[in-house]
Amino acid sequence: MLQTLIEAIRLVSAPEVIIAMLLASIYGLVVGSLPGLSATMATALLVPVTFYLSPIAAIATIVAASSMAIFSGDIPGALLRIPGTPASAAYADEAYAMTRKGEAELALGAGVWFSAVGGIAGTLSLMVLAPPLAEIALSFSTFEYFWLAFLGLMCATLVARSSPVKAIAAMFLGLLVSCVGIENPGGVPRFTFGMTDLLGGIEPIPALVGVFAVAQVMRAMLTPEPPPLPKRKFGSIMAGQWRLTKLYHWQMTRGNIVGIIIGVLPGAGADMAAWVSYAMSKRFSKTPEKFGTGHVEGLVEAGASNNASIASGWVPSLLFGIPGDTIAAIAIGVLYMKGLNPGPTLFTEKASSMYAIYLMFIIANILMIPLGIIMIRMAVHVLKAPRSSVMPVIMLCCAVGSFAIGNNLFGVITVATFGVIGYIMEENGYPVAAMVLGIVMGTMVEQAFVTSLIKSDGSILPFFERPISAVLAACTIAAFAWPLFVWVRRKFMIRKGSTQTA
Amino acid sequence: MRLSDRYTGLFLVGLGSLSAYGGWLLPPVPGQPVGPNVFPLVIGTGLAICGLMIAFGIGHSFEEEEELIPLEPGQQIVVRSRFVEGIRALLPPALLLFYVLAVDRLGFIITAGLIVLATSTALGARLKLAIPLMLLAPVGIHLIFAKMLRVPLPAGLLPMPW
Repeated sequence: MLQTLIEAIRLVSAPEVIIAMLLASIYGLVVGSLPGLSATMATALLVPVTFYLSPIAAIATIVAASSMAIFSGDIPGALLRIPGTPASAAYADEAYAMTRKGEAELALGAGVWFSAVGGIAGTLSLMVLAPPLAEIALSFSTFEYFWLAFLGLMCATLVARSSPVKAIAAMFLGLLVSCVGIENPGGVPRFTFGMTDLLGGIEPIPALVGVFAVAQVMRAMLTPEPPPLPKRKFGSIMAGQWRLTKLYHWQMTRGNIVGIIIGVLPGAGADMAAWVSYAMSKRFSKTPEKFGTGHVEGLVEAGASNNASIASGWVPSLLFGIPGDTIAAIAIGVLYMKGLNPGPTLFTEKASSMYAIYLMFIIANILMIPLGIIMIRMAVHVLKAPRSSVMPVIMLCCAVGSFAIGNNLFGVITVATFGVIGYIMEENGYPVAAMVLGIVMGTMVEQAFVTSLIKSDGSILPFFERPISAVLAACTIAAFAWPLFVWVRRKFMIRKGSTQTA
Repeated sequence: MRLSDRYTGLFLVGLGSLSAYGGWLLPPVPGQPVGPNVFPLVIGTGLAICGLMIAFGIGHSFEEEEELIPLEPGQQIVVRSRFVEGIRALLPPALLLFYVLAVDRLGFIITAGLIVLATSTALGARLKLAIPLMLLAPVGIHLIFAKMLRVPLPAGLLPMPW
């Protein structure tokens, strides 16, 4: 135990890791703060760079960039009412209302402080939850893996704030994309249309870059430039945060816990954590009427929640290779690439690397406070950068990054294609995150499904016979039936309403 | 590019049925009841069912109308025709395809410079901004990816000194 901890400290304190972490933090803060450039996109564009780093440095960049980007999405939310990342969308209105009341410092300070606290709470949960869950996971068979992966996909469709039918369709689309190639139970070329480039399948990372980055550039072509930021000088940012912590300690803890639970669920991540926590905060507040008028309470709870989910989202990723959200999906790709294949044995075989991941999360969240304060002070200048100078650089990163993944120009074609697909889907209300998770998890779902079917001789019953798999199956079916239930109930209420008025 | 749910739904029905059929044609693993054919069959069927439901408008009531951010006083909406909108939206993927076709012949620096120039002017940059950006951004990216990360970017007509 002590030996592994010392080894982990040695791994993290390597100069390469420290430099990578600092640079990734700055990168994450800047990209996350630019409206329209999401935390997922920041992380996805970083992947080609991680190819050329040592395993620990590669994971360090992902950890640092994603944590920072989730926080810094609050900055344009508070100053411009344009959330920098979807996870900040839940409370962007509230933060902007505070800015208009002249409390921008308090709103942004709460963002940085409670994000850091949330991140550390999430890390602690990762440290506490992962090893015992790994013990349980050792006894999992393909039936459990199938249900777990399927449950993750279903959660991803529930998160989307759009039609559940469209979300499920998007998920199926992603699974269909993952069918391409020869990596299937029979090893035969499937849906390759005779193209050699498709034999290896469609890589998730170029697809992600296309869906999140290229589609965003496409959208920028049609939407007006965000309004310029009014010049302002900030007062002390951390003043009053300790008072808030004492005043709202219960809200903070609840936010942390909700964030951790949502993060641990496969398929649900920071966006959902922020929405749920904000809604909960309003529901249980003593002064719900103040919400929406620039009240800090919801900010505290949701800010604590979304960052907690970032760290705890690594629990299903590390244990089962099932991502909690799109950022975790990228992290899994990097883990595989670096020989740290996710699975319960990771905690015994590569214990020092696991400890190194915990340490990096804690360091990143502590670093967030000073770097975040600097970023807030510089935001006025960073947000001045016109879109016409940011987007061309994003385009180059898309082209070079997708080429670098396989030193193959086919990657660039994939990025362009998925840019178009992502753009059309988003415009028509199909959530792209569900598709992305489908692409990432497709091979695993299929493998678990087909192996289970072979084991059971084509019968469906054994899928429900083992106790854990029965529980997981029940959860999955509940997630499937929930929108149906809401729909039926709503229809019923409308009918009742119309008969009453008649 | 907003299409009616009927079109996207029917497209999904078509895609789902095609992939289910394509999966069905695949050979099973010898001696096993299931193989690479099962998964596309299940997925394709699911997709087709979802597509039908979407085409009939089931689940539409869950969709939230997009919130429009109110315009600031100085801002104005540029009204463009649908055709122009489509061309503008397709510019980024088209530029990426241009990259694929041109990079081996022209080299990275020139191709990247052209992409930067096209993107920034399309987004309304003046030449005072677009030209320095065109000269600096490709060199910067080349420095990071080719020099530091050793990605073999083609030199083409304009090799870099490093």
